[in-house]
Amino acid sequence: MVVLAASIVGKSGKVLVSRQYVDMSRIRIEGLLAAFPKLVGMGKQHTYIETENVRYVYQPIEVLFLLLVTTKQSNILEDLDTLRMLSKLVPEYSMSLDEEGINRAAFELIFAFDEVISLGHKESVTVAQVKQYCEMESHEEKLHKLVMQSKINDTKDVMKRKANEIDKSKIDKTRGGDKGGLSSMSSLGSGFNDSSISHGRGSSFGSGSMLGMISDVEPISTKAKDRSRSSVTAPPKSSGMKLGKSGKNQLMESLKAEGEDIIEDVKPSSQTRTAVAPPTDPFTLTVEEKLNVALRRDGGISSFDMQGTLSLQILNQDDGFVQVQIETGGNPEILFKTHPNINRELFNSESILGLKRPDQPFPTGQGGDGVGLLRWRMQRADESMVPLTINCWPSVSGNETYVSIEYEASSMFDLTNVIISVPLPALREAPMVKQCDGDWRYDSRNSVLEWSILLIDNSNRSGSMEFVVPPVDSSVFFPISVQFAATNTYSGLKVTGMIPLRGGGGGVTPRFVQRTQLVAQNYEVV
Amino acid sequence: MDKSSTLLVHYDKGTPAVAKEIKEALEGNDVEAKVDAMKKAVMLLLNGETIPQLFITIIRYVLPSEDHTIQKLLLLYLELIEKTDSRGKVLPEMILICQNLRNNLMHPNEYIRGVTLRFLCRLKETEIVEPLTPSVLQNLEHRHPFVRRNAILAVMSIYKLPHGEQLFVDAPEMIEKALSTEQDPSAKRNAFLMLFTCAEERAVNYLLSNVDKVSDWNESLQMVVLELIRSVCKTKPSEKGKYIKIIISLLSATSSAVIYECAGTLVSLSSAPTAIRAAANTYCQLLLSQSDNNVKLILLDRLSELKSSHRDIMVELIIDVLRVLSSPNLDIRRKTLDIALDLITHHNINEVVQVLKKEVVKTQSGELEKNGEYRQMLIQAIHACAVKFPEVASTVVHLLMDFLGDSNVASALDVISFVREIIETNPKLRVSIITRLLDTFYQIRAGKVCPCALWIIGEYCLSLSEVESGISTIKQCLGDLPFYSVSEESEPTETSKKIQPTSSAMVSSRKPVILADGTYATQSAASETTFSTPAVVQGALTSGNLRALLLTGDFFLGSVVACTLTKLVLRLEEVQSSKTEVNKTVTQALLIMVSMLQLGQSPASPHPIDNDSYERIVLCIKLLCHRKDEMKKIWLESCRQSFVKMISEKQLREMEELKAKTQTTHAQPDDLIDFFHLKSRKGMSQLELEDQVQDDLKRATGEFTKDENDANKLNRILQLTGFSDPVYAEAYVTVHHYDIALEVTVINRTKETLQNLCLELATMGDLKLVERPQNYSLAPATSMQIKANIKVSSTETGVIFGNIVYETSNVMERNVVVLNDIHIDIMDYISPAVCSDVAFRTMWAEFEWENKVAVNTKIENEREFLDHIIKSTNMKCLTGPSELDGECGFLAANLYAKSVFGEDALVNVSIEKQTDGALSGYIRIRSKTQGIALSLGDKITLKQKGSN
Repeated sequence: MVVLAASIVGKSGKVLVSRQYVDMSRIRIEGLLAAFPKLVGMGKQHTYIETENVRYVYQPIEVLFLLLVTTKQSNILEDLDTLRMLSKLVPEYSMSLDEEGINRAAFELIFAFDEVISLGHKESVTVAQVKQYCEMESHEEKLHKLVMQSKINDTKDVMKRKANEIDKSKIDKTRGGDKGGLSSMSSLGSGFNDSSISHGRGSSFGSGSMLGMISDVEPISTKAKDRSRSSVTAPPKSSGMKLGKSGKNQLMESLKAEGEDIIEDVKPSSQTRTAVAPPTDPFTLTVEEKLNVALRRDGGISSFDMQGTLSLQILNQDDGFVQVQIETGGNPEILFKTHPNINRELFNSESILGLKRPDQPFPTGQGGDGVGLLRWRMQRADESMVPLTINCWPSVSGNETYVSIEYEASSMFDLTNVIISVPLPALREAPMVKQCDGDWRYDSRNSVLEWSILLIDNSNRSGSMEFVVPPVDSSVFFPISVQFAATNTYSGLKVTGMIPLRGGGGGVTPRFVQRTQLVAQNYEVV
Repeated sequence: MDKSSTLLVHYDKGTPAVAKEIKEALEGNDVEAKVDAMKKAVMLLLNGETIPQLFITIIRYVLPSEDHTIQKLLLLYLELIEKTDSRGKVLPEMILICQNLRNNLMHPNEYIRGVTLRFLCRLKETEIVEPLTPSVLQNLEHRHPFVRRNAILAVMSIYKLPHGEQLFVDAPEMIEKALSTEQDPSAKRNAFLMLFTCAEERAVNYLLSNVDKVSDWNESLQMVVLELIRSVCKTKPSEKGKYIKIIISLLSATSSAVIYECAGTLVSLSSAPTAIRAAANTYCQLLLSQSDNNVKLILLDRLSELKSSHRDIMVELIIDVLRVLSSPNLDIRRKTLDIALDLITHHNINEVVQVLKKEVVKTQSGELEKNGEYRQMLIQAIHACAVKFPEVASTVVHLLMDFLGDSNVASALDVISFVREIIETNPKLRVSIITRLLDTFYQIRAGKVCPCALWIIGEYCLSLSEVESGISTIKQCLGDLPFYSVSEESEPTETSKKIQPTSSAMVSSRKPVILADGTYATQSAASETTFSTPAVVQGALTSGNLRALLLTGDFFLGSVVACTLTKLVLRLEEVQSSKTEVNKTVTQALLIMVSMLQLGQSPASPHPIDNDSYERIVLCIKLLCHRKDEMKKIWLESCRQSFVKMISEKQLREMEELKAKTQTTHAQPDDLIDFFHLKSRKGMSQLELEDQVQDDLKRATGEFTKDENDANKLNRILQLTGFSDPVYAEAYVTVHHYDIALEVTVINRTKETLQNLCLELATMGDLKLVERPQNYSLAPATSMQIKANIKVSSTETGVIFGNIVYETSNVMERNVVVLNDIHIDIMDYISPAVCSDVAFRTMWAEFEWENKVAVNTKIENEREFLDHIIKSTNMKCLTGPSELDGECGFLAANLYAKSVFGEDALVNVSIEKQTDGALSGYIRIRSKTQGIALSLGDKITLKQKGSN
């Protein structure tokens, strides 16, 4: 299915136009095209020639040949289609079908050929489409130009007005001494205001109209497309298909009988699909805390912010009538806020989350993260509360900079998937890592050194790494950003049970799943 | 690998565009003029003139242009321009383009975006592409399918560049995402193609998760699916099972192109009989449903490939294949018959022959112009059938004998030679054939068919009744004697007058021809006349066909009649007991012979009888007058024996050919061995075949050059200058198919730096320099390599002249060193080839150029001389070895070769040994073009003298 070249040659072998679609040397294509007229026999009723290496498919156009050079394995049916398409295009672009006419239209023909064949593959286009593509009349460009024009006009207006005002203020100035100064200022200011408003209006008008136009256009085109597509695809679904199917099965059976192993129900291997499986439990409760922390490079906390949420996801609508029993860790720094629909009294007194109106169910559904029930924040913390501290010591010695980094993790948390990313100066090669607890990787595109530790627990509360780079300013290595996750939280919030409000016998607590995690959202050493 | 070329435009050298004019036009504001100037600039680039100063002008004045055509032309310009320096580093000024390209990629006009993305597909320089990648990615989500389509292709091309995967680490993922949401069929195809080429397992996954929808997909997407399947199965044959279902579902697709591809894929994946059968069936259906001749021919090619690998399955389909005969195209019919003939077995022979017979009958009724030729083909096919399976001969021979009187001489000839062979090989049919032949003899109109028919009558009339009816038939056809009487005088002169001008016209136009035995002769007038128009006698049934032919002056026929009569009479003597009857017949025969002689010497005949025929008839008369047993034996038995020998030799030759054919299929020592029970069912051997498909593209683009032996290369080294010249140069000449590569080593022998050293080449003959020479400077005592490519477009001896021009610092004028001429040998272009005798003859008659070389050699043996010529011209001898056997003092042979450009070269050697032992004669060379005839002639003249 590969077209090597589409060409127009004269009867004598003069190459008028040729466009190649695969890499081939000039001498090669010229040789192929020069050999062609000698191979064309007279009085044959077919229009293809096969040589040792290539196949020519051609069509005489008056005194010229329109010619496709293809591989010998190429699909002749498709190539003939392509050739037919090209032969319709040639008279569209060339005034006369002789050498002179083709010469004059050579470039237009090349542009048209490009629309029909891309990288040697046939495009399914019509003559009208090719013409449209080649004319390049773009609606959007016109709109763009209109917008630009209107912007220019607006700006001109503003300019004029401003000029007027400046003139006026000049006159004012000449009239009344120091009072004039102030008024001119204010008038100038208003002028600016005006301009910005009108500017904004102009652009908003522009974009608005553009949007409007687009939304007008789009439904029609898509509808038309849909219709055409449906009309095209409909026929195969007729009864003829069934017949074919039974035949197909026979074919398969006999193939199997002959020892071809055929797998009938083919499932894609699931290696690339690692997306979260849809929840199967009736209730899912997610406790998540996100950390936004900036540590100073010389120690101390520059900012600390922890935000936590508890969300509930209910699979079936019937299970919506429940209450959630929770238990908090009692951290005094943390303030809880309930969703407005939650009965606050009940929460404050019994740590039970339930709706204000018990006759209403919780919203249900699979999508999203569920319904947020509770939020909390913690903003004050001292250094001992921070899960991970990083110490970075760059030191220049001779022609090299030694950088040693160490981390220290607080015993409160077991951290997983820790990645410490150290920005480096743009380097050609990876830096020389002298020593490292864990793994490291150099991302040359972003020039970042990533130090990753799969798990930090009691066995490795502290660790270090050392690497060498060419001499640079030490500020290059900051900000160091850190990613990690942990399964215990600051709040220590836990769901202890679900209380069904309906369904009689309260003895049975419904099954639920609880997910708890602490995530570093923005954790940097600056 | 040379720089790849992306477009060619004819450039008329008559109106050279001046760089200055172009520059002015580009700087102006007139859009039309700018477009024109851009076109000219592109053409100049294509013509090898790199105008570096134009680049900056274009950057300054063309880049900002708003006009779309100018922007597109600009892209073409950028496509062609040299973007790297001599060391492969990207030129710094190319950064200037990047900004413009980025703007184009963000252009509000979707078509500008599209064509720019398409341009990026052709860009090879990673450094230029790199800053553009974010913009390319944005275009993946553009609203317009035209942009998305091209953006996907651009991503694919960039990803495929060296280090491209680093530019787009996540390209496959993004494309996969795009593919799942894409609606435009073309963009979808491109996306799938991208996954296929860059991340095969993703493409496979996508395919497998959409198995059910495949049959509803767009045609072009289905094509890529098939390609993917083929490629995957090649690398992982174990997973083949998953895909067969998809292929089979696609077999019922609506697009015939997809169906065709499916069948091909099926064949390549499996060699299970059902799969092959399904594929073959598909091909047959396409054959019937497609009306295009090209398609039919290629489908037939596919079928014949299947035939050679899976004959047993194809045999079942023979009747389907034969249905194609309904197409009026002769080439198609010929191919069909070729395929069908190979598939004949005992089981289907009757059916096949029936179809063929029906077709033959059809040709009688229809009035199509090519019917005659077609009938000939059919008759040959039936002939072949009958040879393979003699039992069908009886059913066809009578039908075929109806065509003895056919107005198409060739088919009548085929029929009669068929009859001749059958009557010898099938003794059972003899009686019925002879009766039939005698009944239809009067219908034979062609002067070339008659002798053969007469020979059969003479040889195979054995019983008394047959002999008698044979003699009477001949007599009847000759009509009343004498042929020429005084009373008829007025009439024959008239006819002779009528004939005279035509024959004289013929004589003037006639050319020397090559006879069947390879002799090169001016044909005798008699046979010449039978060759052309009067070969078929019209009307005059009353007077008999033999008579009519004789009256036109075909005395060769007369001699055959005489021989036949002699044979019949001799045989009659054996079977007839009554002496008087025999004597009566003898006198009648003698009378006929004498009247023929009389006719030959009378003025009524258009020309007098030739000596050969005269002698032969006289011999017959003598024989009949003195019948001896010895002579009888020669006439009645030896003749037949030599015919039997000829037939058996022919069969032997066919057997040998068959053997040779089977021999070629024997495995080479290093071939992979297929164990039938282990492997063939899985179609593995086909997968190895698939490798060839991959090579297909490489071969087509000329990437595939065989590694030549270095030692071989050294043989072709040519010294271009002398050792004492200031510049020493020598060249390797490598001749490729369409070009000659000169690799010139230049050594500076002086102690000065040579500046502006330039290798100037000029050519004679059909050679063309590809590039303009460049200037170099050469330090003292250093050497360098200069490469030059020369394009060749026809087979001809060519000469390359050249000189080396240089300047030195102290002398301001240019020094010139003239080089030796380089001769390009025609032998590099021609290779031995085979063509049929008939084709050789038609070409010989058609070709316009003849070069006649007189033999002038020291070789004294004819065979040795012929071998010498064959060896030195690299041609193939078409005349069979058995025909060249024996020492008879003369030799005639035809040689044939084909050039790489598809031209034919014909040579006829006719030599005779003189009494003094020297050889004399002529070698004639004919070709369509002057070049071959001349060059080959020169070559032969040169070689035949230097015999060693």
